Amino acid sequence: MPEPIPAPTRAHTPEQIFDKICELLVPYNPKNHVIIRQSGIVTDLEVDSTAVFDLIMGLEDFYDISIPMEMVSDIKTVGELVVAVQQLTAE
Amino acid sequence: MDIFDKFSALKARSDMVKKFGPDPFGVKFDEIEHATRGRIGNRSIILAGTNNYLGLTFDPDCMDASIDAIKRHGTGTTGSRIANGSYAEHLDLEDALAKHAGMASAIVFSTGYQTNLAAIATLAGPKDVLFIDADSHACIIDGCRLSAAPTIRFRHNSPADLDKRLIRHGEIEGGIALVVIEGLYSMFGDRAPIAEFVDVCQKHGAYLYIDEAHSFGVFGPTGCGLAEEEGVLDKVDFISGTFSKSLASIGGFCLSKHKGFEITRKAMRAYMFTASPTPSNIASARAALDKIAEKPELRHNLHARAAQLHNGLAEMGYDLCAAASPIIAVRRPNELVAATEWNWLLEEGVYVNLAVPPGTPQSSSLLRISLSAAYTEDEINIILKAFKDLQGQGDVLMARVQEIMAAG
Repeated sequence: MPEPIPAPTRAHTPEQIFDKICELLVPYNPKNHVIIRQSGIVTDLEVDSTAVFDLIMGLEDFYDISIPMEMVSDIKTVGELVVAVQQLTAE
Repeated sequence: MDIFDKFSALKARSDMVKKFGPDPFGVKFDEIEHATRGRIGNRSIILAGTNNYLGLTFDPDCMDASIDAIKRHGTGTTGSRIANGSYAEHLDLEDALAKHAGMASAIVFSTGYQTNLAAIATLAGPKDVLFIDADSHACIIDGCRLSAAPTIRFRHNSPADLDKRLIRHGEIEGGIALVVIEGLYSMFGDRAPIAEFVDVCQKHGAYLYIDEAHSFGVFGPTGCGLAEEEGVLDKVDFISGTFSKSLASIGGFCLSKHKGFEITRKAMRAYMFTASPTPSNIASARAALDKIAEKPELRHNLHARAAQLHNGLAEMGYDLCAAASPIIAVRRPNELVAATEWNWLLEEGVYVNLAVPPGTPQSSSLLRISLSAAYTEDEINIILKAFKDLQGQGDVLMARVQEIMAAG
């Protein structure tokens, strides 16, 4: 099990969240697809549905938030994931 | 636009796998000869992927019970228990299951899938929160999707991660936390640390629901599963299971230590609006439950054969996903290699399961074996020899993969 990463203390800009998502996507993107906000996580980046949830758990731990499964089902693109994380970290 | 266009990527993947031989997800057996042998055409196949853990599908008492039930009650129930009534045998089986596990309440369902779907979707209401293991079976995930409760996943088999996520979520106003785990995980065959999960649930006042589909009848002094084996069965709120594995029938059950579970019969849609289990299925499951209670030697042989196979494969250097258990998963480098090897094994007369993403943890491609108490030592040696010979085929099979890939 990976060591927990301490949650950052400063506010999170969309750019920072996007960069973090790109970093966490590395192991799930062996074909090195270019990642942009409009990238479909499953459709364009070819991340399988199980791996998406592993990515989500990494984000939950980094930002110390809970992203319920039903919310994940509605997130299709990297940009939508950025928005979801930003909203949850602002709560 | 064709209605099936949305499946084009899936079809392309399925077509690619079929270029290597018969469809691994559509195998046709012409006959099942007994618990460990089937026939495809003229070839006798050793069955090493059937989840027939206790080998009871051909047990004379279970078969006689089933035949007798058909003669007395007919072939089907033709309706649901709510609308069309229960048979005495439904109630008798529920009573026997509850008594066997020392639980206050038991409900039987028409399949194992429906059991988790119905129970999880209903037990967790809109003010509750579900916490599920990251490697949960599809029926648990689908139960969560049908439920009105938010669902949080925790890292696989990690009570510490569950603890962290329960703390992170904080107080659940007006509701409860329902934690769902499995006893033995179906793909890798790894066991949950159940006693540790019990501790975390008790610390947070959370309810614990354990799916023992692959462990009921297989573990524990009386075969009640891994919670019994770890000595914490009385601390578990709900135990679910299936009739289609160790009990050699089809159907499922959910047991609870809470008498209040009874009322959910009138709330679980997947119980209320489906036909009840057939007389023959209930009768054979009931007879198999007696075997679980009376014949611990079945479990002993099952674990001995599992250890024999696990040790043999490990000595050959195969990458095995977990410690010895009745499920042994051999990790392969990718889907095409796994499919090619799966075909070669079948040609050699050994049927295992091909398991590929997204149905597998860590996006693994697996040759999955499930053991049976009906195996002899010699039959395990046949499986081991096939895997040994498979290693000698490496270059030939890789050339076959490249040839098929090159042909598009």
